[in-house]
Amino acid sequence: MLLSIEGVTVKFDSLIAVNNVSVNIAKGKITGLIGPNGAGKTTLVNAISGVYAPNAGKVVFDGEDITGRRGYQISKAGLARTYQVINLFEHMTVLENVLVGMHTRLKSSLTAAFFKTRAERAEEEAAREKAFELLRFVRLQDRFDNEAGSLSYGDQRRLEIIRGLASDPKMVLLDEPAAGMNPVEKDDLDAMLREIINRGVTVLMIEHDMKLMMGVADHVFVLNYGSKLAEGTPAEIQRNPDVITAYLGDD
Amino acid sequence: MADKLNLKTKSVSGPTAAILLLVALAIPPFLSAINLNYGILICCFVLLYVVAVSGLDVVFGYSGQISLGHAAYFAIGAYGSIMLHKYFGVTIVFSMLIASAVATIIGIVIAYPASRLRFHFLSLSTIAFGEIVYQLVLQSPSAVTGNSLGIFTEPISFFGFKLDTYTRFYYYGLAVMVISLILKNNLINSKTGRALIAIRENAHAADGAGINVTRHKVIAFAVSTFYCAYAGAMYAHLVRFISPDTFMFRQSVLFLTMLLFGGTGSLLGPVIGAFSVTLLNEALRVAEKYQMFIYGTLMLLVIIALPGGIYGSLKRLLNRFKRKEAR
Ligand SMILES: Nc1ncnc2c1ncn2[C@@H]1O[C@H](COP(=O)(O)OP(=O)(O)OP(=O)(O)O)[C@@H](O)[C@H]1O
Ligand SMILES: [Mg+2]
Repeated sequence: MLLSIEGVTVKFDSLIAVNNVSVNIAKGKITGLIGPNGAGKTTLVNAISGVYAPNAGKVVFDGEDITGRRGYQISKAGLARTYQVINLFEHMTVLENVLVGMHTRLKSSLTAAFFKTRAERAEEEAAREKAFELLRFVRLQDRFDNEAGSLSYGDQRRLEIIRGLASDPKMVLLDEPAAGMNPVEKDDLDAMLREIINRGVTVLMIEHDMKLMMGVADHVFVLNYGSKLAEGTPAEIQRNPDVITAYLGDD
Repeated sequence: MADKLNLKTKSVSGPTAAILLLVALAIPPFLSAINLNYGILICCFVLLYVVAVSGLDVVFGYSGQISLGHAAYFAIGAYGSIMLHKYFGVTIVFSMLIASAVATIIGIVIAYPASRLRFHFLSLSTIAFGEIVYQLVLQSPSAVTGNSLGIFTEPISFFGFKLDTYTRFYYYGLAVMVISLILKNNLINSKTGRALIAIRENAHAADGAGINVTRHKVIAFAVSTFYCAYAGAMYAHLVRFISPDTFMFRQSVLFLTMLLFGGTGSLLGPVIGAFSVTLLNEALRVAEKYQMFIYGTLMLLVIIALPGGIYGSLKRLLNRFKRKEAR
């Protein structure tokens, strides 16, 4: 198991947004997280990635207890993420966004930065090369010098994904990566997710698009009113009566 | 690919820098020739203000934290250097560096807890700290700071070579300014500089990208305090007399006015700002009473009419011009 979530609870005042949820996420797989609006999916991801500290429970990542650590520490531990609402550095260029994503990989010291040492310059140069390679992966290399905020919605989503990948993470958490994408972009995302897995990065993805989710996910778990409702293969989830009721009841 | 990697860096191009430097080198002989020795002194002030304002830019322009108390660090640099020399016999070149290092440590101690707070507690704490330093200097035990009477000191001396004329000080100040700008430029064009900009743009996303926001805010603050303190020490040994009046709240507002007026988040903004506001100050000497009024008006003017300051507005104009040309 790469990530174990053990009895995690998150409360907002009296509202229990995530209620005693336990899930194990296998290495090298795409795990899906679904559930009706307001089920607590984003909140769970926020609790894993250090935006909130869980009120109870434990999060173990790659054998390390990361419960309650700060966001940057969790990112450093190898867990990257994207956001439901696009969260880029809008006024920085596309390339700079990827370079910021690489922050934890770059080792030059502050002194090296002040004096622009040869090693620091070489590291920066290599970082740019690597950033361009990632940009080519999503065909954004020609837009490298544009402000991130000027990209189309779908391109911004993809840029956010590669900003996450730039840190060479062991795992990425994707919060509704297909939101706002057109069908062509969605197909592209499908291929991209498989490529990410091929690169050895584990994926946990929240997604409302069932076609995409059921197509790529190896394993899916379902949240409803903050609690885990079911988990299993996509096929099992699709015919699970509780899941069907939860979705029908919600709509 | 290689040429594509040769990206625009946000610094000044080689030829521009060379021309600016030549002009700067020619200023003292020119001003002496027209018998304007006083003008050289004003230019010395400009140089040390550029250093202070560039420091402030790292914290305000790049990491996006407002400080209204940087005059305190200017004062610590000035008083620290004078007192180290006067009471401990430290050679002035070193007393300036030690005082600046001490100011930096104080800056870190203050910024660390304040940076963890949300909202504008850092700005508030900077105002409070500025006031504390002012009061300490004004009412020091056994008047070690000279209290309200002020304190005298000597010029900088490099192994017996005294910077006791305005022209000598000018060239030294120019060297310090160029070094400060180069170091700042290097910092900004590194992963740390990117992290500072990322924090300014979106602190939440920066945290998610593995950037320790608190640590970087403290780094930015520390760099700025060193720059301001060193500029303060330069001021002290240029004027050779300082008193608490020099370091009032007004001084912090002056720095901020220069930065906003020249343009934040750039290399040349502080240069333009320090130069134009100092000249304006001199031109309006007769109206000293209205100094704060004028700063206030300038700030409003910049905020409303010139977002990005003179430098930012010039750049926008130039870009528009270039785009037309390209069509
Ligand atoms: N910061 C917060 N403060 C208070 N309540 C919150 C906060 N964040 C989320 N909630 C509440 O917690 C519950 C779960 O929200 P969450 O965003 O995790 O749902 P979700 O499953 O991601 O929904 P969606 O599919 O709409 O994104 C909701 O009732 C929401 O209103
Ligand atoms: Mg959500």
